[in-house]
Amino acid sequence: MTRRALLHKWLIYALALIPIFLLDWAVLPRYPLFGVHPTLLPLAVAAVATLEGPISGAGYGLATGLLWTTTYAGVSSLQVALLTLTGLLVGSATQYVLSQSIWGCLVCSAGALLVQEMLHILFFLFLRTATVDTLVAVAVPEFLWTFVWTAPIYLIYYLIYRKVGGTKLA
Amino acid sequence: MKDFFRNNGGLLLVIALLLSLLLGITSVFLSGTTDPISNVMTAVTAPFRNGVSAALAWAEGAYEYVFHYEQLHQELSDLKQQVADLEEALRDAEDATRENEQLRALLGLQEKHRDFVFEAVRVSSPSTSNWESTITISKGSAAGIEAGDCVVTETGALVGIVSQVSYSTSVVSTVINTDIEMGGMVSRTYSAGVLEGDFNLMQEGLLRLSYLSDGAQLVAGDEVVTSGMGEIYPSGFVVGRVEAVFSDPSGMTRYAVIQPAVDFSDLIEVFVIKEFSIEN
Repeated sequence: MTRRALLHKWLIYALALIPIFLLDWAVLPRYPLFGVHPTLLPLAVAAVATLEGPISGAGYGLATGLLWTTTYAGVSSLQVALLTLTGLLVGSATQYVLSQSIWGCLVCSAGALLVQEMLHILFFLFLRTATVDTLVAVAVPEFLWTFVWTAPIYLIYYLIYRKVGGTKLA
Repeated sequence: MKDFFRNNGGLLLVIALLLSLLLGITSVFLSGTTDPISNVMTAVTAPFRNGVSAALAWAEGAYEYVFHYEQLHQELSDLKQQVADLEEALRDAEDATRENEQLRALLGLQEKHRDFVFEAVRVSSPSTSNWESTITISKGSAAGIEAGDCVVTETGALVGIVSQVSYSTSVVSTVINTDIEMGGMVSRTYSAGVLEGDFNLMQEGLLRLSYLSDGAQLVAGDEVVTSGMGEIYPSGFVVGRVEAVFSDPSGMTRYAVIQPAVDFSDLIEVFVIKEFSIEN
């Protein structure tokens, strides 16, 4: 693949993140469902990793993690490493074990979200500022409401992949 | 395993870990101020956030006008009645103030003088996390806002404390957030305690007034204000009303559950207290 084509491809993928970012950052927090709003950025990383493989997934995770940490309030800098790892593992799992399809993406997204929720729960338990039942009462609706968005976000990236994904521009 | 990571993005993972560490260490040292990268990202993305907020606010206003006109009309009538009642209370208060001044002069007491420097800001967005209660406001260090500044509404109700400042925006921890801790007191009886956020209560939109003494006098409905103890935060700002009083698990102290005076989902414009002085 030529450098120009590569840049073109990843520019399109980056532009695709913009509406997801704005939805997650500025729109959905205003309209919570069951008291929570979804977290869409890990799903974007999982979708790209599923379609493009582990190295591209890790790179996309790194960029998305940086965006998340630097623009959102109260997001730990560990998310940079966590989303990179998510991209790497999702890409590897879908490439070598599962399938590079919506089903592989759904399974891996569920796993990624589960890890996110577990880390939140463990963090607050460590600080001893909350009881397990309250933490679970936040984590479960957040997980479910976020998971619902996996398919639409995968569809966005799949449509892009069909146009510019893989080595199509070569 | 080593080959697996080398061939599948292991280097990127190492870079990500180093970046995480760098950002983490920077945030610890800067404490309350955002790191340079976040400053740049926030400055670049702030116009988009403000644009989306403005568009949503317009759309919500239009929706309210079209579908809730009767409700808005009734709310207007109620507010007009409230204004009339408050004007009458103000006239009574002016009489009381004059009498207070005369008595102070008679007894040789000096008046307490309160000076505040306010900065009006718009609320850009509500909390982007389900695990904390924060709002983002439209001004930052460029407007002289610093971490630790109080944020209030136009009616003097406390919204929260500025927890993080970037060049053009700031993050405010609301009064129900878990990192809040300040002196509070019941305005009717002057019973003092510590206003604290609590994760369990935060999910219900509440906070607590802890470390109440055994002799503290308060009942449901009592108004709670900031006490200004330690002179870190100004006194007299309304935090909320007592919902219920409980005994601490240790049985040594009591605490009250407080319903905040502010509806955080309804905020459009608030005021940051950049400086204050309370002198005798």
